Amino acid sequence: MDRLILLVLTRWRMELRAMARARERAVGLLLLLPGLLFSSLFGAFLAFAGIRAVGHDPTILLPALSLVATAVGLSWILAPMVTGVALTESHDVSRLLHFPVPVPVLVAASLAGNLLQPTVLAALPIAAAVAFGVSQTPAAFPFAFAGCLLSLVFLISATQVSGLVIHGIARRRRFQDVAVFLLAGLGFTMSVVPMLLFSGGGRPILALLRSLVAHDVALLSPFAWGLRAAVYAGRGEAAAFLGWSAAQLAAIAGAAALSAALIQRIYRGEFELGRAGAQKEGGRAIMVFAGSIGAQVEKDLRIAWRNPATKATLVLSCLTPLFWLFVFTRMRSGLSPFTLLALATFVGATAFGNDFAQEGRGLGLLLGFPVERWRVLVAKNLAALALRLPGVAVLIGTGALLGSFALLPAAATIVAGTFLIAAGVGNYSSILFPTAMGRPGRNPFGGSTSGARGLAGVALGMLFFTSTLALAAPFVFLAWLPLLLGETLWWLLTLPLSFAGAVAVYAMLIAGAAALFRRREPELLERILEAEAEA
Amino acid sequence: MDHVSFRVARGRFFGFLGPNGAGKSTTIKMLTGLLRPTEGEITIEGHPLERDLLAVKRVIGVLPEELPLYERLTGEEYLLFAGRMYGLSPAEARRRTDELLAFLSLEEERGKLIVDYSQGMRKKTALAAALIHSPRVLFLDEPLNGIDPVSGRVVTDLLRRLARKGVTMFFTSHVLDVAERLCDEVAIIDRGRLVAQGTLEQIRAQREVGQDASLEDVFLKLVAADVRREDLSWIG
Repeated sequence: MDRLILLVLTRWRMELRAMARARERAVGLLLLLPGLLFSSLFGAFLAFAGIRAVGHDPTILLPALSLVATAVGLSWILAPMVTGVALTESHDVSRLLHFPVPVPVLVAASLAGNLLQPTVLAALPIAAAVAFGVSQTPAAFPFAFAGCLLSLVFLISATQVSGLVIHGIARRRRFQDVAVFLLAGLGFTMSVVPMLLFSGGGRPILALLRSLVAHDVALLSPFAWGLRAAVYAGRGEAAAFLGWSAAQLAAIAGAAALSAALIQRIYRGEFELGRAGAQKEGGRAIMVFAGSIGAQVEKDLRIAWRNPATKATLVLSCLTPLFWLFVFTRMRSGLSPFTLLALATFVGATAFGNDFAQEGRGLGLLLGFPVERWRVLVAKNLAALALRLPGVAVLIGTGALLGSFALLPAAATIVAGTFLIAAGVGNYSSILFPTAMGRPGRNPFGGSTSGARGLAGVALGMLFFTSTLALAAPFVFLAWLPLLLGETLWWLLTLPLSFAGAVAVYAMLIAGAAALFRRREPELLERILEAEAEA
Repeated sequence: MDHVSFRVARGRFFGFLGPNGAGKSTTIKMLTGLLRPTEGEITIEGHPLERDLLAVKRVIGVLPEELPLYERLTGEEYLLFAGRMYGLSPAEARRRTDELLAFLSLEEERGKLIVDYSQGMRKKTALAAALIHSPRVLFLDEPLNGIDPVSGRVVTDLLRRLARKGVTMFFTSHVLDVAERLCDEVAIIDRGRLVAQGTLEQIRAQREVGQDASLEDVFLKLVAADVRREDLSWIG
């Protein structure tokens, strides 16, 4: 027990120190907390109202609650693949394995450590609301709440298992490459399926849900057994409560045992999921571009193409506009000119990225070369532009096909202008709040992309997106104006003006960022190395 | 670092030695512009580092202890990239890359991604990148760690030849007999302070140790190393 307490306290201390050393993440988390609190309370209200609306009809309440719990459970497990942020942390236990600590203690410490994660804390009011909703008498509430908590603990145990599976895959570099590419595709599919289903109206979804509830398909889902116990506790049926609670406890124990087995197998190198293909070895390397900017662009493109996550992003950047265009064409209003231009604005404005994240330790190398810092930033932005070009071309091309070719210059100007400004803003994000991608062989969803720090990163991303929109707004407006006035001939004047304005803002952003870069070089390097060590 | 001040003459093989945590790597980071000193001045080949960082970077080559290479480039691609970043023409970068790969026995691995290289191969690749632009000063942080004896001999011979041609070597190592064989001059730091500098003979004379004392003996005396000889209380 002493060692368990020590491990949990050490983990919490490390988490707090990591937040303290990256103050912007602490600020980002603080910004996100009101939203998290609101969603928690709103979720609690929905849960309570939903249960009371259904009443205590066992034919609907149990299957419906089970279905919701299963959906929530799967979304938590798949969160790293779908959103890139793990809602809890599967911390790297490899540093603890040489201590004579039983693996179950490590597993228990990991579970207990996750209890302080913001997303777990945010789930508590919802669990309480469910318990309150299903309790027919005040005396039943504690038992119902206990049932809900059992479901929550299983949820955390299951995310621990999925985190370990991801970690296990990541330990073989070549296999990780394939897995990350496929998982990014899965994430994309998961995120677009609901939109595709809803784009044809909600009827198919409702029919599917009714069928799932009618057949109680979530009966076998261990995510819901604690909730089932809670429902029976609320009705005062002690035997059923005890039975489902025991089942949930057994599921928790099973997940913990699976975690322990995975930990043992992963770190002994016995976790073989398959054989990855051998690396192809080509002939002599080809240089395409000359000069320092050309060399950097070429280097970034090669690395991006060989990195499965960025390769997946590249492929998905071509699919995403197609998906949105498909959704819009299925809507009653079809693809209006406004929709296409709004889509162009969105695609351009979301193009910013934390460009130094990929550099990781290589940043020290890059800073060692005698190259002006503005050239480094411009090269990074050019490489990012080149990577997004296929997606943008797909958007503009298909948009013009579905809408009108007359919109093509306006859409292209908006994408190019907002992209430039997004890239310029992204440079500040890279310099001020550097993050690092996990190195091959390390958990790709560990460190700064998991738990509280991952959520804080999301908040910072939203902040930079808003800044990009604010800076790009005048130029986007210039490009839209002729459409608003119904005088499309004005585009001959407004489009060049809009693009020139965006270029001027980009130049100013680059000048400022280069000066900031020169001043913060040592600090930036230190932060990247720290972030990479944590990842 | 605590008021460290030293001067290294051009073409000298300068060993910068000290126990763990003494500040060797920190000093190299400051000398190469990766860490900003709170006070003081650094001048390399006549260029003040604070005012003319890029000019300094043009004349130095750095082999850091940790090897931050681009792991998803091949060794050959990495050297071609480094050559162009130092301002070489593509043809010259190609010529020097081929020569370096052959010299450091990396030719067979030229098409392999660096992520799949062994530690020794990474070290040789990083050394090749530090040499590709013909630097006038080389900073080498533990250059022989992880290199097999054959490659180690090739590397030390190369470093000696470079020093004879006027390249200044700034070298750190934990292996004191290697430092003793290679260095014309050494500086020893302890807890961030410079405790000795000069040729081994000068340091022996200053510190009144015998003329047959090895660098290790001098080092242990200077850093006041408390080499404990008693057993641990709980080990029977």
